[in-house]
Amino acid sequence: MIAEAALILIALSVAVCVIRLAIGPTLPDRVVALDLAVTLCVGAIALLCLKAGRPTMLVVGIVLALIMFLGTAAFAQYIERRARR
Amino acid sequence: MNSLVLRTAARFLLPLLLVFSVVLLLQGHNEPGGGFVGGLVSASAFTLYAVAFGRDAALRAVGINLQVLAGLGVTIAILSGVPALVLSEPFLTGHWATVPIPGIGDVKIGTPLLFDIGVYCTVWGVALIMVLNLAEE
Amino acid sequence: MNLLLVLPILIPLTAAALGLTAWKRPGLQRSISVAGAMALLVASVMLLAATNRGDVLATQMGGWEAPYGITIVADILSSIMVLLNAIIGLAVVIYSLGALDPQREAFGFHPLVHALLAAVSGAFLTGDLFNLYVWFEVMLMSSFVLLTMGSGRAQLEGAIKYVALNLVSSALFLAAVGLLYGATGTLNMAHLAERIGSADPRATTLIAMLFMVAFGIKAAAFPFFFWLPASYHTPPPVVSALFAGLLTKVGVYALIRTFTLCFTGDMAFTHEVILWIAGFTMLSGVLGAAVQSEFRRILSFHIVSQIGYMLMGLGMAGVALAAAESADESTAVALRGAAALALTGSIFYVMHHIIVKTNLFLVSGIVQRLFGTGDLDRVGGIWRTRPVLSIMFLVPAMSLAGIPILSGFWAKLTLVRAGLLAESWWIVAVALFVSLLTLFSMTKIWGEAFWNAMPPGREDPTATVRSDRGLRIMMTVVMLLGAVTLAIGFAAQPVFDLAGRAAKQLLSPGVYADAVLGGRQSSIPPVDADGGAP
Repeated sequence: MIAEAALILIALSVAVCVIRLAIGPTLPDRVVALDLAVTLCVGAIALLCLKAGRPTMLVVGIVLALIMFLGTAAFAQYIERRARR
Repeated sequence: MNSLVLRTAARFLLPLLLVFSVVLLLQGHNEPGGGFVGGLVSASAFTLYAVAFGRDAALRAVGINLQVLAGLGVTIAILSGVPALVLSEPFLTGHWATVPIPGIGDVKIGTPLLFDIGVYCTVWGVALIMVLNLAEE
Repeated sequence: MNLLLVLPILIPLTAAALGLTAWKRPGLQRSISVAGAMALLVASVMLLAATNRGDVLATQMGGWEAPYGITIVADILSSIMVLLNAIIGLAVVIYSLGALDPQREAFGFHPLVHALLAAVSGAFLTGDLFNLYVWFEVMLMSSFVLLTMGSGRAQLEGAIKYVALNLVSSALFLAAVGLLYGATGTLNMAHLAERIGSADPRATTLIAMLFMVAFGIKAAAFPFFFWLPASYHTPPPVVSALFAGLLTKVGVYALIRTFTLCFTGDMAFTHEVILWIAGFTMLSGVLGAAVQSEFRRILSFHIVSQIGYMLMGLGMAGVALAAAESADESTAVALRGAAALALTGSIFYVMHHIIVKTNLFLVSGIVQRLFGTGDLDRVGGIWRTRPVLSIMFLVPAMSLAGIPILSGFWAKLTLVRAGLLAESWWIVAVALFVSLLTLFSMTKIWGEAFWNAMPPGREDPTATVRSDRGLRIMMTVVMLLGAVTLAIGFAAQPVFDLAGRAAKQLLSPGVYADAVLGGRQSSIPPVDADGGAP
């Protein structure tokens, strides 16, 4: 029950992130929105594991959490380089 | 990129991700994971390192020429099929042996694991070649 | 026995792996590459010798029984294709020793070629549609890198068109595979042949059309052929030669395989569509070539038109078989014979075409080496300075146009005879017309590059090019391939018989299914079909 409620909240939050991703207006806005959305997805995966009572998918969550950092860092580098030009 | 936070984080994340990629590789036989995903995770670990410290530092951290790494991977994967050929079974038929390792207990080691290790190395090498070449542009 | 089946995939794969591990040592890489290509040729000859009498060999990878595991299976058609793959592989690898600049060689040319050869062998030998998809992807990846190697601007532009359209094809292929699995519950081709009859015929026809489009793009058939002439003239000639010989033919093979084994439910419709596609492909290719004035561009458009001939045989066979079902006894027998002859023609055509086309591209590479360009306006007078090279061009070119006694003549003759037997008049007319235009196109290259003198006011650069070792290697390869063309032409009867046996096997899919599914009772009745001799 609590898991369902949390999932609904996460879904709403992802929706808000997607709106930010769509309207921008600047690139950093979009990057942060994407970052947040992935974080929320990690939470959603953990909740789904809880609901199913099986830890198999937790691995996916952990990988996503670790890799997500890479994406944000790469974007940051790109933005910085672009600003320098 | 000259960021203390990123550099420090990358230094910690690299070993963490590498350990994790090996976990993925090993559990791949019965659960989600396997050589392909493991290789991708280790490639992204070094990509992160490249973002923080630069391409050359990442190449030094790998410690082996990437093309050679990929080639070794394919070679290992092919070799894993050879025992089956020698026994005149269909290519890549799995063979398992139980090896007692002190402190851990009996560990099952087999040719499918060898195959996965080969895939791991190949994906690791090829994915890194692609990413680092793109980053060079 | 199962070793023989995996060797054509394993040898080039090993050569690629070893080549990669010898990354910084070009000399070692070259030796590995040549040795690998030779071993592949030996293995594929042995494979053909083993399947030649009509046995279908099959092995299940990892010992997982079909239809659950990945099946590797070789019938005569597969073995022929693998052999052609090996011949082209060896020719290209040796030619590259003389032709390729060290910079491109250092970029991994040899491992990439072997990865490509492994993928092509895999595609020819697999008995599983998803596995076929995997080999297509390996092929696409290695060919894309080969295409962009040394990346000039034009080269990148062509490569992007190439990869974009091929990705569309892959996506369609994957979607079709998914739908097919949903409709029938299997992707093993032999198993599919048994089960597809019990699926909803409308769904399977739709899925068949999806496969047709996906493979059609790969084969550069009408209307999705424009990626080919846009990309094939940009990379080094040796790479174009490899692509011209092999890549599109994998698409043709996939069409022939699936549309004789799996998608035979509504042949009156699907194969009629193939026949129309074949006609338009022939015409658009040859008309496209007519307005070009660059050596390799002309040849690229001719690949397209030749693909039409190969599909023509497949289409006629299907239409004839469909007509045979409703015809009375004696007509049905005649129609089935025509179907077998048409497929024979297709297979003969593929065999002849792969050799000839690769050879023409290799000749264009020599011309480019001599003149620094392939533009026909700036090339001329080769006949006077290099008569041997001129003859080496003339053999494959006239064979392509279908001049009697050369290999292309027999291929076309077989198709035309089958067309007359099957009463597909219009496609025969198109084929003959296109043949004439091909002759026109080849004489145009002959005239401008070889026979006529250099355009006035231009110095002949060939006078300064000495016959170095590289050029001699290139010439040797071209001569050997020319000899193969001549051999096919003069020994047409055995080659025709071989193609005929392959076609007959295609028309009785029960044998294939039995070999793959381990002799389980097959529900497919064999088609009684006898091809005539030329």
